[in-house]
Amino acid sequence: MKKKREIRNNVLKEITEKSGRRGTQLDCCTQCLRRTEVSFRRFRNSLSEHFHQLWLWHKTLKIIGGEFGTSVLSYFIFLKWLLSFNIFSFLINFSFITVPQFIAAEPNNLSFTGLELLTGAGYFQQTVLYYGFYTNATISKTENGASYNMQLAYIFTVGIYFVICLLILLFSMAKSFCRNFISPQTYSGNASKLLCTWDFNVTNEKAVKLKQKNLSTQVKEGLTDVHKEVQNFSVTERLVHILLHLGAWAASLGIAVAACSGVYFLSINNLEVRTDFAACFWRRIFPHGLQLLVLFLCRNIILKISIIGILCYYWLDIVAESKSQCWETLIGQDIYRLILVDFIFCLLGSFFGEFLRRIIGTTVCVSLGVPEFDIARNVLDLIYAQTLTWIGILFSPLLPGIQMISFFIVFYTKKVSLMKNCQPPRQVWRAAQMTTFFMFLLFFPSLIGVLSVIAVTVWRLKPSEECGPFRGLSSMFAAVSEWIKILENYTGSKWVVWIYNNLITSELFFFILSIIFLIITYLYWQIIEGRKTMVKLLRNQIVNVSSSFSFILFKVWLPC
Amino acid sequence: LRGLNNLLFYRYRDLAPQLVPLDYTDKPDVTLPYELIGSMPELKDNPFRQRIAEVFSEDGDGNMTLDDFLDMFSVLSEMAPRDLKAYYAFKIYDFNNDDYICKSDLEKTVNKLTRNELTPEEVRLVCEKVIYEADLDNDGKLSLEDFQHMIIRAPDFLSTFHIRI
Repeated sequence: MKKKREIRNNVLKEITEKSGRRGTQLDCCTQCLRRTEVSFRRFRNSLSEHFHQLWLWHKTLKIIGGEFGTSVLSYFIFLKWLLSFNIFSFLINFSFITVPQFIAAEPNNLSFTGLELLTGAGYFQQTVLYYGFYTNATISKTENGASYNMQLAYIFTVGIYFVICLLILLFSMAKSFCRNFISPQTYSGNASKLLCTWDFNVTNEKAVKLKQKNLSTQVKEGLTDVHKEVQNFSVTERLVHILLHLGAWAASLGIAVAACSGVYFLSINNLEVRTDFAACFWRRIFPHGLQLLVLFLCRNIILKISIIGILCYYWLDIVAESKSQCWETLIGQDIYRLILVDFIFCLLGSFFGEFLRRIIGTTVCVSLGVPEFDIARNVLDLIYAQTLTWIGILFSPLLPGIQMISFFIVFYTKKVSLMKNCQPPRQVWRAAQMTTFFMFLLFFPSLIGVLSVIAVTVWRLKPSEECGPFRGLSSMFAAVSEWIKILENYTGSKWVVWIYNNLITSELFFFILSIIFLIITYLYWQIIEGRKTMVKLLRNQIVNVSSSFSFILFKVWLPC
Repeated sequence: LRGLNNLLFYRYRDLAPQLVPLDYTDKPDVTLPYELIGSMPELKDNPFRQRIAEVFSEDGDGNMTLDDFLDMFSVLSEMAPRDLKAYYAFKIYDFNNDDYICKSDLEKTVNKLTRNELTPEEVRLVCEKVIYEADLDNDGKLSLEDFQHMIIRAPDFLSTFHIRI
């Protein structure tokens, strides 16, 4: 606190200098210096103030948090976080790949009709939007001037972006796990949660009253549960429960298989169809509840992973091996269309799921009531869209820009729909742990899957002969190996060649690295086990000490 | 941190422009009464606003100087560490300021959380359950350590004990 007071006093001094006049008599030079110092500090302060105002959507997030609480707010914060990934990708792709390409651009002979915005083909095929347009030449503005190797720029920009993404996700996820999962037992008492659940973010009067009402309902339900300890289900009821669950699983797996084969055959015939209507429909049939939420998440994730898996298999095995002219651009166009369809269905989902549902819930079938904002479904949609974008970066470098625009529109649509159509959530939604889980989903099936797809594309597939920056090479990675071969002739860069030969292409190095990581992980795991035992022992000690103290107090000391 | 402090200073001043001077070099002794603090849009509907103001004010009555105001919002910001937030949350729920959350404190807290909608019997049951679950040293009331132990098992605490300014 003392340090904060010091900072605060400095700030106050600066504010005073901003507004007040100093009455001290100084000579001309010092006065001049003092004035420039003050104006520079004023400028720096106003800049930091502006950055504070420019915090994207700061006011909007405050209003959403004020009315709907932390759980719904976590969705919008997640959306903002994903948007930052796309903005970063778009900026580096645009600066390092697209701008040099503009200098060496070939003329576009195709005509622009409006249909290209929907199909991604046509006029757009000969623009910087797709891989096929980029040159494989070394661009130089003047003869013997500085040259820019497009092949290396392309592969390094995309590669470094993914490495940075991986590191950012890894560290955020680790920090989140550390903060939210430190206790070995998660929920060991419902009543004591009461003291920790009040959401100070909620500032709207109606929302506060609603929250208080929900809390009192929960408390009353919790108290009645105390009285009936065990719910005795009869054997037939339990059997029916199990059969229902099995039926739901079989049905969703069946739908997943049907959807995947449908996607596969339709892709071969070049038609795009969205197949998770069934998943959304399935969600409406089953009511809320934590267990059912987990089941819904699992089913939805399995469906989405299988669809993306089938699509990747189709692209990498069939499209890439076909003798079409520019298979990378074809894949890029496919992904563009998928992202567009996903965006449209997201907006439609908002329209049907929230707007129409509210109309139905308030006029036709009043018992249904106003809908709540479905956080899980919306976050999974975001993760799906981001996965598609990441797969598409290699084939269409400006795709993150399109996804950026799409996320902006989705943010405002969801916000307006939320304010007008939804009510604050009634059930407890463990926002911190769910956000960690969603970050983990973004890391494990999503980013790792994308990295595997990109790795297969870069190392195994043969780039097309006639278009793109890697035309004529045996694989995209061959550009790097050829560059290393050129570097071998320069004595100054021998260290780069050494690193390449002994660290990057050497299997022994990665094998040894993996063994070391496994050993360190095992050691940490054993340390954690030891600490868990220690915590248990210490807790028992506290209880023992306090009970022996109260025994001594009441039985021995007080009666005397 | 500086940007936030500047913003907070202007928010403090906006509550009573005629009382708060722009010049703070001679450390003027300006205290804003609780009524003004409690009328801020971020606090006016919070059931614990009075306790929050009392905990952070120097005189314990809710009348805050600029330093108290800045302290309050920095503890309630995203950057404050968990232990600091737990300490101040404990003080907010400790209505009689005896460094323990006893049964009467809990009853007042539960009533504020549920807007007095529970019957006294239900409130009593809830308080007993809370003490049973959280009181580790078996003295019938919650100390700061018991409270911190409870906070560890509620990872949402960091994001819910937070006011955006």
